[in-house]
Amino acid sequence: MKYFDSKILKPVQRLFKVVVIGLSLLGWSFAIAEPKDVSEIIEKANLASYYAGADGRTDARMKIVDSQDRAQYRQFVIVRKDNSDGGEQQYLVVFSRPADVRDTVFLVHKKPTSDDDRWLYLPGLDLVKRISAGDKRTSFVGSHFFYEDVSGRSPQLDKHELVKEDNDYFYLKHFPKQPETVEFSFYESKISKSTYLPMRVTYFDTNKQPLRTMEVNEVETVEGYPTVTESKITDHKLNGYTIMQFRFMNYDLSIPESVFTERSLRNPPEEWLKRTNQ
Amino acid sequence: MKDKIIHFSINRAKQVYWLIALVTFSLTAFIPLIQIDTDPENMLPNDQPDRVFHNSVKEEFRLHDMIVVGVVNENSIYNPESLKAIDQLTQYILTIEGVIQPDLMSLSVVDNITQVDRGTIRFDWLMKNPPESKEKALQIKSDVKRLPLLLDTLVSNDDKAASIYVPIQDKDESYRISQEINSYLQTINSQDAFHITGLPVAEDTFGFEMFVQMGISAPMAAAMIFILMFLFFRNLTFVIAPMIVAMATVLATMGLLIAFGFTVHIMSSMIAIFLMPIAVVDSVHIMSEFADRYKPGLEVKKVIEEVVGHLFRPMLFTSITSTVGFLSLSLTPIPPVQIFGAFVGFGILLAFIWTILFMPAYISRMSEKQLLALQTQIHKHESADTRLSRTLKRLGRFSVGFSKSIVLLFIGVVIVSWYGIQKIEINDNPVRWFKEEHRIRVADKVLNEHFAGTYNAFLVLSMKDPESQKSQLTQILKEQITNLSESKEKDELVEKLSSDVSIQELVIDIDNALFEANAADQKIYENLLLLIEKYQSNINYFTQPETLEYVESLQEHLMQTGLIGKVNSLTDLIKTVNRQLYSGQAIDFRLPDSQNGIAQALIQFQSSHRPQDLWHLVTPDYQKTVLWLQLTSGDNQAMNQVMTEVDQFIEQKPLPEQMEFRWAGKTYINVVWQEAMVSGMLDSLIGAFIVVLVMMIILFRSISFGVLAMLPLSITITFIYGVIGWIGKDYDMPIAVLSALTLGLSVDFAIHFIERARALFDQTGDFKQMIGLMFDEPGRAISRNAIVIAVGFTPLLLAPLVPYITVGVFLATIMAASALVTLLMLPAAMNLLKAFIFKP
Repeated sequence: MKYFDSKILKPVQRLFKVVVIGLSLLGWSFAIAEPKDVSEIIEKANLASYYAGADGRTDARMKIVDSQDRAQYRQFVIVRKDNSDGGEQQYLVVFSRPADVRDTVFLVHKKPTSDDDRWLYLPGLDLVKRISAGDKRTSFVGSHFFYEDVSGRSPQLDKHELVKEDNDYFYLKHFPKQPETVEFSFYESKISKSTYLPMRVTYFDTNKQPLRTMEVNEVETVEGYPTVTESKITDHKLNGYTIMQFRFMNYDLSIPESVFTERSLRNPPEEWLKRTNQ
Repeated sequence: MKDKIIHFSINRAKQVYWLIALVTFSLTAFIPLIQIDTDPENMLPNDQPDRVFHNSVKEEFRLHDMIVVGVVNENSIYNPESLKAIDQLTQYILTIEGVIQPDLMSLSVVDNITQVDRGTIRFDWLMKNPPESKEKALQIKSDVKRLPLLLDTLVSNDDKAASIYVPIQDKDESYRISQEINSYLQTINSQDAFHITGLPVAEDTFGFEMFVQMGISAPMAAAMIFILMFLFFRNLTFVIAPMIVAMATVLATMGLLIAFGFTVHIMSSMIAIFLMPIAVVDSVHIMSEFADRYKPGLEVKKVIEEVVGHLFRPMLFTSITSTVGFLSLSLTPIPPVQIFGAFVGFGILLAFIWTILFMPAYISRMSEKQLLALQTQIHKHESADTRLSRTLKRLGRFSVGFSKSIVLLFIGVVIVSWYGIQKIEINDNPVRWFKEEHRIRVADKVLNEHFAGTYNAFLVLSMKDPESQKSQLTQILKEQITNLSESKEKDELVEKLSSDVSIQELVIDIDNALFEANAADQKIYENLLLLIEKYQSNINYFTQPETLEYVESLQEHLMQTGLIGKVNSLTDLIKTVNRQLYSGQAIDFRLPDSQNGIAQALIQFQSSHRPQDLWHLVTPDYQKTVLWLQLTSGDNQAMNQVMTEVDQFIEQKPLPEQMEFRWAGKTYINVVWQEAMVSGMLDSLIGAFIVVLVMMIILFRSISFGVLAMLPLSITITFIYGVIGWIGKDYDMPIAVLSALTLGLSVDFAIHFIERARALFDQTGDFKQMIGLMFDEPGRAISRNAIVIAVGFTPLLLAPLVPYITVGVFLATIMAASALVTLLMLPAAMNLLKAFIFKP
C-alpha cells in the first residue's frame, strides 16, 4: 500500500486537480454564453441583415458565373421600406441591365407570418402579373441566390442551436421545422459578434454534403449601419457562384408608401432609383 | 537462306524452344494490363473534327452521358403507386455517388409553371411529393401534357411509361451505378416493369460480354481445331505441335498489343479467334505432306528438310499475302480497325516464323516409335476413310471434264452477285450489336415504343463570326474615348480596350466612371453605353425574333417529316413561358414579338428551381443553340435521312445570313465513322488487291498465272458481297472487315494449288496426269485447311454479341466458297488455257 501511496496516487491526484480546474473553466465559459439566448442572436441577425434603418435604397449588381466560367450580369436598384422592425416590409426591385430586361420590376410585400404578396412587370411583354407565393427557394433571376436569400428567410421557420462561439463569432446550426418544404436538411451560420451580420452560411443536404455557401466578402458602415457591400454564394453541386455587390446605399430616406404600389410597376419612381452623392 | 533456317531448326531444337518460350512468356506478361474500350466514339481518331466538335458541344451544353431508367405500367403511370415508386427511386438515385444531381431529370425534380388564376403565375416543383390520390395523380398528367419539354421525354404520350435520366460524371462508373439502381429496385414494392438502359450501360455491358467472348470463344476455337486435327492425323503428339504454334502466336500478339498500350476494342478482341486457325494452317501443310512422304526407315531429318524446303516458298507467300490483306486495313481511317489489321498481320508473320522454326525441330525429335504409330494410324484411316480423297478425285475429273460449263457458271455467279452488290445497304447501330433477346435490346425496344426516341442527335446552330463584331465595336469605342477629358478612368478604359476585355466588364467600368464624370464626359459615356447596348442586342443572336422564327420553322419542318420523335428546342421553352405569362391557352404558345420580350421570358424561366436547364439549349452568350432531336432508331440510315431533310429545307429556305449549322450527337458520330469505314474499306480492298496481284506475278514469274491466282478470291469476294446484298444483311463494321480477310485467306489456296500444279507438271510433263496428282495430296491439304479454318471459326456462333456471330458465319462461308472455287475454277481455267500456260 505504501508503494501505491507514494508513487501512483500522487500523480493521479495531480491529474484529478487539473481536470477539475479545467472543467470549471469550461463551465465558466459556458456560463458566459448561456445568458445570450439563441433567439436573441437570431433576431439581432435578422434585423442587421434585412432591417437596417426604417427604409433605404441601394444599387446592386450580380455577376453570375457557371462551372465553365461563363458570366452573366444583372444590375438593379432595390428600394425598401419597413413597416416594423422584424415585421412586414416592402421591396421594389427595378432592373437596369442587361438592357433587354431594363425596367423589369418586382414588387414584394413581405409578411413574415404569412405568404408574401409579389408582383412582376415585364415591359417587353407589356405585362403585369401577380406571382403566386409558391416556393421561395427558386433562383433569383438565374443567380445562385434564392429569392428567399434576397428577401430574408423568416427565423420562425427554423429551430436554432448555438454550437459554439469564439471572440468574434457565434456559430449556429439551424434545422427546418418543415423539412419537406426545403431542399436542405440543415444549415450552419457564423454570425459576427460586433455587427450581428451572418458572415458565412452553408446549407447541407441529407448526406451532410454542402449544397451552397454564402460568404460576406466586404462590410462597410454606411450612415451608422454595418452594411454588406459584397457577398458571394457558391453552389457546390453546380460548381458555379454569384457575386453580389451593393453600392450607393442610403438609409432613412422617408420613402413614401405610394412607391410600393402597383402603380410603380409601369412607372418606376425615378427619384428613388437614381444615385445620390449625399 | 531457307536451308540455313531449316538446318538451324533441326539441329538446334533446344535453342528454338527457348527462343519461342522466352518471346511468348515475356509478351504474355503484359496481358494482365489489358484495358477494354467499348466506346463507339473511338471508331474515330481522337482529333477527328466531328468528334472534337461533338465533345465540345457536350461540354458547352452540359450534355452528360446518361443512364436511362424506364418505368412501364400497362395502364398508366399516373397513379399514386407508380408515381410514389418513381419518387422513391429518384430520391435514392440522388444519393448515389457519381450522379450529377442538378442535371438529373425526373418528375420529382423538375419545375412546373402554372397559372393559378388569370393574372397570377406560379413556379413550383412538378411533383414535390408523390400524390396520395388518383385525382392528384391526374393533375400531374395534365401538367405534363402542357410542358412540351417534358412530354414524351419524361413521360410517354401514351401515359404508359416514365423515365428518369441519370447524368453521370464518369462513363466507367455506369456499371456500378446501374447495379446500385438495380439492387434498390428489388426493394421497391411496385407492380411496374423497370428497364435500365442508356449508352454508357450498353457500352459497359458490351465490354463485359467481350471478356466473356474472349474467355470462352477463343479457347473453344482452339479445342475445335485440336479435335479436327486429331481426326485428320490421329496422333496426339503430332497434333500438339501446331497447337503450340497457335498458342504462342496468339499470346505473343495480344501481349504485344497490350504492351504497346493499345486498348482492346471490339475488333481487337477478335484477334485471338482470327489468328488461331490461320496460325495452324502452315503446320497443317507441313504435317500433311510429312505424313504422306515419311516411310519407315527413311531419315526423319531428311524428309522434314525436303518437305519444309519445298513448302517454304508457298508458305512464305501465303503468309505475306494474308498479312497484306490485313495490313491493308490500316488504310481505313478507323483506329480500332487499323490496330486489328496491323496486329493480325503481325501475328500471321509470327506464326510463319514459329512454324518454320518449330515444326521441323519438333517433328525431328519425335521418337521412331511415335512416327511409326503415326504412319500406321494415318495410312489405316486413309485407306479406310477415303471419302475425302474420293470426292476430291471426282471433283478433279469434273472440273476438267466440264471446264466450259464451270467457267460459264462462275461468270453467271459473278453477274448475279454484282446485282446483289448494288442492293447492299450500309447501316449499323451499336445497340444492335446485342442479340435481340438481350435485356439492353429489350429495354431499347420498349422505351422506343413508348417514347419519342432514346437516340440523340444535336443540330447545333450558331452565329457566324461574333468576334468580328466585337473588334468593330472596340474600334469605334477607341475612337469615341479620345473625346473624353483626361482622367484616371479614361486611361484605364484605353488600356482595357487594347487588351481582350469582356464587354460586360467594360459596361461596369463605364457605369462607374459615369457617376463621377462631368456633364460633357457623361454624355460621351452614355453614348458609349448606347453603342455597347446596340452591339449586345446584335450578338445576343438567339434572342432575336427573326432568328428564332427561322429555328421554329426548321423544327416544324423536321417534325412534319415523321422521321423524328421529338425536337427539344429553345423556342419551345420560350413559347411555354410566354403561354403561361399570358392566358395559359394554346393561342399564346408563341414567340414574343420583340427581343426584349424574349429576354424577359427567359429571365422568368431562370427564376425557377432549375435555371441551369436553359444552358442545355442555348449558351449564356446566346450565340449558339442546339436542337435536340430524339430519334426512335439509332440506325445511321435514319440519321442520314434526317440530315438530307435538313439540307433540303435549307436549300428551299436558306439559313439567315449570320447563321451556320453543324451536327453532333452519338447517332451522328456513328454515321461519320461508318461512312469513313465504307470508303476506307474500298481503298484498302483495292490497295490490297493490287499488291497481291503484283506479288503473284512475281511469285509465279508469269502474268497469266498471277491473274489466274486472283480469280478464286475475286469470285469469292463478289459472291459473298452478292449474297449479303441479296439476303438484305446490312453492311456493317464486321461485314466491312471481311473483304480484306477474304482477300488474304482465299488467295492462299490458289497459291498452293498453282505452285504445286506447276511443280507436278514439270515432273510429269502431262496435264492430265498432273491434275490427277493434284487432287491427291495437294487437294487434301487445301481441303483440310479450309475445313480447319471454317470449323475453327464456328464457336463464334455461340458468342453473346452479334458482330462475332456475323464474322463466324461469313468466315465459314468464305472458306468453304473459296476452297470450292479454287478446286473447281482453277483446274477448269487451266484446262481451257493449257495450250497457253503449260508448255512442256
